[in-house]
Order: sequence, then structure tokens, then C-alpha cells
Amino acid sequence: MGAARFPLRAPDPRQAGIGLRTPHFAALAGSRPAVSFLEVHSENYFADGGPALAWLERFRADYAVSLHGVALSLGSVDGLDPVHLDRLARLVSRIEPALVSEHLCWSRLGGRNLGELLPLPYSEESLGVVCARVDEAQERLGRRILVENVSAYVRFRESTIPEGEFVAQVARRTGCGVLLDVNNAYVNAENHGTDARAFLAAIEPASVGEIHLAGPERTGDGLVDSHGARVLPDVWALYEETIARLGPVPTLVEWDTNIPPLEVLVAEADKATAVLRRAGDRARGAA
Amino acid sequence: MSAALRALQESFARAVLGGDPEAIASSIEPGGDEGVRRLAIYGRAVTANLVGALRGAHPVVVRLVGDAYFHEAASRFARADPPQSGDLNRFGDGFAAFLEHYPPAASMPWLADVARLDWACHEATMAGDGEPLDFDALARVPPEAQGDLRFAFRPSVSVVRSSWPILAIWEANQSDRDGTPDRVEGEDTVLVWRETGRVRAVALAPREAAFVEALAAGRGLEEATGEPDWDLPAFLEQLASHGVLAAFRTEIPVGPSPISA
Repeated sequence: MGAARFPLRAPDPRQAGIGLRTPHFAALAGSRPAVSFLEVHSENYFADGGPALAWLERFRADYAVSLHGVALSLGSVDGLDPVHLDRLARLVSRIEPALVSEHLCWSRLGGRNLGELLPLPYSEESLGVVCARVDEAQERLGRRILVENVSAYVRFRESTIPEGEFVAQVARRTGCGVLLDVNNAYVNAENHGTDARAFLAAIEPASVGEIHLAGPERTGDGLVDSHGARVLPDVWALYEETIARLGPVPTLVEWDTNIPPLEVLVAEADKATAVLRRAGDRARGAA
Repeated sequence: MSAALRALQESFARAVLGGDPEAIASSIEPGGDEGVRRLAIYGRAVTANLVGALRGAHPVVVRLVGDAYFHEAASRFARADPPQSGDLNRFGDGFAAFLEHYPPAASMPWLADVARLDWACHEATMAGDGEPLDFDALARVPPEAQGDLRFAFRPSVSVVRSSWPILAIWEANQSDRDGTPDRVEGEDTVLVWRETGRVRAVALAPREAAFVEALAAGRGLEEATGEPDWDLPAFLEQLASHGVLAAFRTEIPVGPSPISA
């Protein structure tokens, strides 16, 4: 380990963070909104140098940063791409993030990457594959990662384990944390007629290191996790219940399509902050 | 090990990339047409993500051919030759070669070279900074060693050669221009690099191009210069002052700086 280049910063669990996207760089640098952390897609900073990385280093000086990978492909039968893992490790040592996360899905097969979060069957076989990859990633990065439950538009008949139990097992077996996406839990329940509350209840509270919120798109074929709208009222209700059960957890609002002005995104994050503050006040009142 | 999961992932990939849901259909819920429509959400997402990556890396090609044309060409390329890296910023290396043999583009023979220039600019945004040229050390190279100087380029530097006026086309299709090239003839050799965060693209005269390519091939200054009847020092000074050149080496060791030693 080299000497730290940045101040040690951790997300304040009583204040939400925002997903940082390129269109907001200038506005963020100008207004420096009060958000607890910035989350970026790790792969967008895999470059050897250049302006995007320079922006991120500039923001890292003032904010806690979460590196959120979309393509490590923890569920691929082929194993992790060593080049991808090396680039992630390099970025981690460069940025000194507070959190590092990946998705419980797959995208890589036969040396190709399909560039999308594809669903897994929830079986013992998948559990073995995912846990081996999580172990490998945590070993290479020298730190704990968080794994996120994804939205899915189909389910597999091969699935033998409820999704919540699958996610909890991955955390239990590997020691990784859970990035609990409340919107994805809602999307899956709507799309498959399952129970979002049963999913959330299966996750061990102590394993949850971060929560995601976002707005999906309603289509004729069900809810699509587009990250392109405000958080739905039903998802806010699930989030309130979740925070009441877990206590304050670093929470992030993601917005990736139809990206609004920065102040709209920050206002959405402020709603999550209000929920976190109420839970924190209740916890203090009870103590 | 994982044989069932492998078969499932292969069938799923065929459904989303090849539009062939047959093999996976019996494994998914909901069944029937609804399942096929749900799979199509993944097919569209994969296409959108891969085409989006190609679009971001080829802004001038997009402007030249329009959104619908680009989407069709890019999705064909992406399905036939999906990315090897999960970092989609690295996806598109072969797109220019694909356009070269893309029948609908036959009437635009310059398009593939414009794509090469777009790609060179895209790669320049992601390259490392490298070590800047040490001007002080360069000034201390004794005259007898200068002919043998070998320069390295900064990592963002590349040269794109074309039999078409690609730089004029590229410049005319930047966001502040109306798309009309300043010239419609010429064989452009373009030097691309990143200078203080911004990508630059300039045309090289034939002699300059030969010089740059000779240096890039590791030749010494004298050999790379060729006929000494042109203003090499001025050109070299430009390359140096705009951050194109990086470290240099010479057969004769350069003494320490009289000030810092």
C-alpha cells in the first residue's frame, strides 16, 4: 500500500449521495451541493489518463467516492476477466474509494462482453460460481466489496432459491456486503408477481453497506429499470420501511437516462436524506 | 462444473445477440409470447448499450450519416463482433474496418477513414499522460549526439493516413460548424494527440508525416530528417511545445544540469 493521496472520507449515513454523470461535472464543480458521496461507474474511469479521470480526482478531494462496476460479471461461468480486474484494482488504488460495488449478474461469455446486466438462475450452481468470483475479486482488490441485486425481466425455471436468500447466502459465504437496490426489488416484484417485502426481509441488516434508489419506466411488457425518472411513491414507502428496520445506511439516487439538471437530482437525494434523518432521530430518541 | 449454467448463458446470449429465443424459451418465466417479449427487452438494451458506446466514440460519423443509418450499421457490427472488454469505452476498434466493407456505405468511400480519425481522437482522450519532454536535458545534448537523438511520443499520439480529405470533413462536422468542408480534395495525414485535456487533430505535410513516422519507428533524428532542405527545427519545436514529444534518448550520455547538479 502506498501513502494515501486523498483525505479519508466515508459517506455520512444521514445524508444521501448522487450518481455522478458527465453532464453534471461542470455544475457540480460550480455548486458543490451538500451530498454525502458521489458514485460513478468504475469502467468509465478505466482510462490511463485524460479529462474524465482528472475530473474524478478533483471531486475525490472534496467528496467520498463510491466505485460502482457494471461489467465485472460476477455470474459468468467463464470466470473474471483478469485485465478488467486489474484495471479496477488500479482505479481503486488511484481513487481510494469509500465503497466498491458490483452487480449480481453476468455479461461475459466466450471472451465477449454483452454490456448489459443479465440475470442469473438462483441455484446452488450459480451460488458456487458467484461466490468464487466474489472471493477472487475481494482477494485481488484487498478489500470487501458490495454486491447489488439486479432488476430482471425474466425468471428461470432452474431457480431453486428465493432471490433474497441467494443474495444473503453470497454475503454469508464470502463476507461481502450487500448493495440493496430497493427499486430493483420493487421492479422484480411487479414483473414477476413476487413479494418485495419478503425479498428485503431475507437480507441480513448487518450485511447492507449501501442502498440504491432510482426511477423505472413502465412499459407494456412490465417495469424496465431505466434509471430515467423520479423514484416511485411505492419505492419510497419500501425505502422508509427498510430504513426503519436497518437504521441509516448510505443511500444513493441514480439517474442515467433522461438525465435532469443537477438540482433535480440533488432534490431527489434530499428526499432520501429526510428519511435517513428521521430514522436517525428515532434511533437517538430510543437510546 | 457449471455445465447447466454454461448452456443457459450460451442460450441466453443467442437470444439477445442473435434474436433467437428458441433455446432459452423453455427455461424462462413468463412463458410463451410474453417471455419472448421480455427477452426482447434485453436484446434492445444490449443493442442500445453497444450502439451507444460506438456513437460516443464516432461523433463525426454519426453526424455524417445520421442517427438511423448509424444505428443500423453500428448494431450490425456490434452483433457480429461484440466487445471483448466490459469497458465499453474500449469498444469500436474494428468499426472503421467494418464500415470499409459495409455495402450501404460504398457511396461514401471516405467514411471508414473518418471513423479511424474519430477513433484516434476517442483513444487520445483515454491515453495516459506520459512523461513530458525534458527541455533542459535536451538543451544539454552535445551537437555531435544530436543526429542520433531518438524521441518517444506521448501516449495519446497517433497518425491517421487517408487518400481522402478527412481532416477537412472532420473539422466541418464539429459542433460549431455547418458540415461544409473547406476543401473536397486532398490526401490527409492527420496527427492526433491530447494537449492539456483537449484532443487536437492537425494535418501533416508529406515531409512532416514521413518524419513523424520515422521517429515513431525508432529512427534517429538525422535519419528521420531525410533531405535537410526543410525547416526541421521549427517543426520539431512545434511538436515539442505542443506536448507531442515525450522522453528522448541518445547514444552519448547527457551530462547533469550545471545548476541542479
